[in-house]
Amino acid sequence: MTCPLQLHRFSPATDTSTAIANGVNCPKPAQTAPSTRRLLAKVGLSVTEMVARHHAHAVGPNQCCSFVIQAIDAPVSAVWPVVRRFDNPQAYKHFVKSCHVVAAGGAGGDGGIHVGALREVRVVSGLPAVSSTERLEILDDERHVMSFSVVGGDHRLRNYRSVTTLHGDGSNGGTVVIESYVVDIPAGNTKEETCVFVDTIVRCNLQSLAQMAENMGS
Amino acid sequence: MAGICCGVVGEGDTPAPLEPTPRPSRRRSLDILPLKYIADMPMPPPEALRKRPKLNLRDCDNAIENCDESTGHKVTKKESKVDYDDDVVSETKNVTVSEVEEESPKFGVTSVCGRRRDMEDSVSVRPCFTQGFHYFGVFDGHGCSHVATMCKERLHEIVNEEIESARENLEWKLTMENGFARMDDEVHRRSQSNQTFTCRCELQTPHCDAVGSTAVVAVVTPDKIVVSNCGDSRAVLCRNGVAIPLSSDHKPDRPDELLRVQSKGGRVIYWDGPRVLGVLAMSRAIGDNYLKPYVISEPEVMVTERTEEDECLILASDGLWDVVSNETACGVVRMCLKAQKPPGSPGSDVAADGSDRACSDASILLTKLALARHSSDNVSVVVVDLRRDQRQSSNYNDVN
Repeated sequence: MTCPLQLHRFSPATDTSTAIANGVNCPKPAQTAPSTRRLLAKVGLSVTEMVARHHAHAVGPNQCCSFVIQAIDAPVSAVWPVVRRFDNPQAYKHFVKSCHVVAAGGAGGDGGIHVGALREVRVVSGLPAVSSTERLEILDDERHVMSFSVVGGDHRLRNYRSVTTLHGDGSNGGTVVIESYVVDIPAGNTKEETCVFVDTIVRCNLQSLAQMAENMGS
Repeated sequence: MAGICCGVVGEGDTPAPLEPTPRPSRRRSLDILPLKYIADMPMPPPEALRKRPKLNLRDCDNAIENCDESTGHKVTKKESKVDYDDDVVSETKNVTVSEVEEESPKFGVTSVCGRRRDMEDSVSVRPCFTQGFHYFGVFDGHGCSHVATMCKERLHEIVNEEIESARENLEWKLTMENGFARMDDEVHRRSQSNQTFTCRCELQTPHCDAVGSTAVVAVVTPDKIVVSNCGDSRAVLCRNGVAIPLSSDHKPDRPDELLRVQSKGGRVIYWDGPRVLGVLAMSRAIGDNYLKPYVISEPEVMVTERTEEDECLILASDGLWDVVSNETACGVVRMCLKAQKPPGSPGSDVAADGSDRACSDASILLTKLALARHSSDNVSVVVVDLRRDQRQSSNYNDVN
């Protein structure tokens, strides 16, 4: 079973409903629902086959997947340098308290960060998590694709993998960010509950990213 | 001084434990650590970092026995080190006390990091902050400390403005609701401005919608106690030996809070306990803009008439209340107050900052008790002596 992004554009699946319904909580509530639908249509038209493949997660029987879309009034060239910083997720992920890269990945000691790098993330207080060990899976500077998986830590999200892609939104000069993920459904919770929880975190992160990138431009 | 602790032990506040302590040597070792050393631990054990769920019945029994042992050790410690209390009091953090005037009630404050890595609690004590009213506030931050710090620095000023603008038509519920709403607005506006912060957020973008704080505030007037609560800190009145809660914790699974969250389109998901959207373990807070309108900053306001039977008021963060019951807390404070000379008599111990020795002892004892029972959070405690002596009564009569 796969969960390709294209299917969500056309079916009223639970995940899509959840994503759109929770959109009501966005800072511009009156505009978000229709705006989200327009974004879905727009992104559908411009997503290349290569990028769409990154959002096609293989979903196991006890897993769920979902995605969050965020429009940013700033160019891809301003957003991508923030998203790609595997060593500094706290720049826009405000649930991250600190991050330490414990393995840089790659063969040579060139000091850069490559696929296979590992980071230890500590989470801020008040959340149902303490730490997370994460591995860099994809870092594509040409197609603006970044992906990481969670390989350990003190939390309930097992086998979590996310993909973030950036897309220019045509003549407006803005950016559309798509973050999709797949994760095990923890014992005692339902698929819907798991998506509500993760969508809330991802949405908050992307809203912070939007505010940050838009402020950098002004 | 030893009599205070002996009194606590002798009164037998707690029932006899039913089961032996599984690891007596380990607990005993932990118990004898002076409070300041525990607070200074830079790297607490990994398992202590996560907040523990509430103790089940068996653990509670062990904790009670642990308490007895702990109290016994405290007696020994106090006998051998006379100035110990002063050291502990001086460790109080994030506490602001304004100038003391003659009419202010006696109080004691303790606020310690405990087993958490960071200190995110704040306490604000403002005797006579306006027209003979006294203000006490405890703020338990989450996500970072700056919202709790802002509440400590600003909320009493905002409440003061609201009280003065109400003039003779003072309606406490409306006044406090307005005050909390303005505080929440101020937090939100500041998170969107470019002002610098004195916490780690300074290293990042100042947009911090994911930071918040509880707020439990008591305004003590000559004839009333007004408690406004938002979140899961708590205020408890001890009246004639009976513990009377003056606030109700805003837990997401409290039936009316659950209904309110759901009516706004939100969900309460059990994820390491009941949480709004699976994320936040309380249903009301100052800040946390990303969870609005499910998590609101509207306080529940309770106005209580003061009586001659009132003994003390306790405000504390859930680092205390998660491991100490209202009844036990009142019993501890009551014993400390009983051991004290009558207020206002010559030679009674009143520190320069207005804090009172008996009240300070009580707040310190409660904090130690919470740590001994393995509270995994910051602990902040405010104890206010509400007893009225003859001198105070005379003064009130003069005013009338």
